[in-house]
Amino acid sequence: MSGQAPETSKPLPRTTPDSTPAGDLPLAVVGQPGVPFVEIETLRAREFIPAAKEALSSLLKEQAQGKLIRPVFNWAGRNSLFPLHWGLACCAIEFAAAFGARWDAERFGVVPRSSPRQCDLLIVNGTVTWKVAHKLIALYEQMPEPKWAIAMGNCATGGGPFRTAYSVVPGVDKLIPVDVYIAGCPPRPENMLDGILRLEQLIKERGE
Amino acid sequence: MDQEQLSAGLSARFPGKILGVDTFPGTNGRVRFDATVASDLFRSLRDDFHFTHLTMVGATDWIDHREVFYVLWSDADRRYLILSTDLPAESPVIASAVPIWPSANAHEREAWDLVGVKFEGHPDLRRIFMPEGYAYHPLLRSFKIHEPEDLEVKVRSD
Repeated sequence: MSGQAPETSKPLPRTTPDSTPAGDLPLAVVGQPGVPFVEIETLRAREFIPAAKEALSSLLKEQAQGKLIRPVFNWAGRNSLFPLHWGLACCAIEFAAAFGARWDAERFGVVPRSSPRQCDLLIVNGTVTWKVAHKLIALYEQMPEPKWAIAMGNCATGGGPFRTAYSVVPGVDKLIPVDVYIAGCPPRPENMLDGILRLEQLIKERGE
Repeated sequence: MDQEQLSAGLSARFPGKILGVDTFPGTNGRVRFDATVASDLFRSLRDDFHFTHLTMVGATDWIDHREVFYVLWSDADRRYLILSTDLPAESPVIASAVPIWPSANAHEREAWDLVGVKFEGHPDLRRIFMPEGYAYHPLLRSFKIHEPEDLEVKVRSD
């Protein structure tokens, strides 16, 4: 077997630049030598620019209709959510545990960041008082679009046991739009991960 | 200085303005005074009776009147003294203790925030627990624990 050279190893007749007239060089020579890339060889420089223009304008047209880029952004965005690292109360302990070694939320692409300008997900994990309400709104407004919010735990959802207290906001949806509510006092890390996966499903369905 | 000396000294300095001295375990007693002499009384207690430290200021709403109380500490006697005064519910105003004891600052802000007692001469009488734009003094008895949806709070925007 090894002594015989296979038939395909014979050198194929090459298409050399000699056969092309001078000044009409091919735009690019790619692939194995001898394989005639007719399409590329005939795509001369003066034809390339209009062809590229046409291709680009059709791409832009599709993008304007949201057919091309938006699904890609949706897929990429929902699989790499960046929650804001803003601990308010005891739910923040579960929030922290979810990003630890045991539950490891980062395998879902969720990485907490410390600046609202680097985030697209606000997880409100604790009791929001009226005193801190304007800071919650400021943080939410500092996050770039598209952005989502999760109310984690009973306090953020509806005030929890402090609902009738004079100092507690009865649910953060009084202040910011909330996409997913997670029940529990506090919710377990699995519960929080379930909420994040539900939010990913929500983003997929909405097609944002 | 024991309680009798203190009571006699205060009554001599502020005739008719010391409304009573009760015994209070572990302290030099509770002195009930007229709020009109508050500023002079504080200064006298600090300078003449060596109550150098103000431990706390509090206020209570008794519906028909509001009580303001002060807890003082004397390093010389190693004794507490409680001051108490009643303010009318319509206009609960008293002189601030901040010029005499700077530690009164946060306590008086708390009493203003929660019970609505005004301290004249306070350098910075703002709310301390509730945000600006909160319309209530929530530890007043007239503050109903209503449905939270009825609470009207203006949240300021940064």
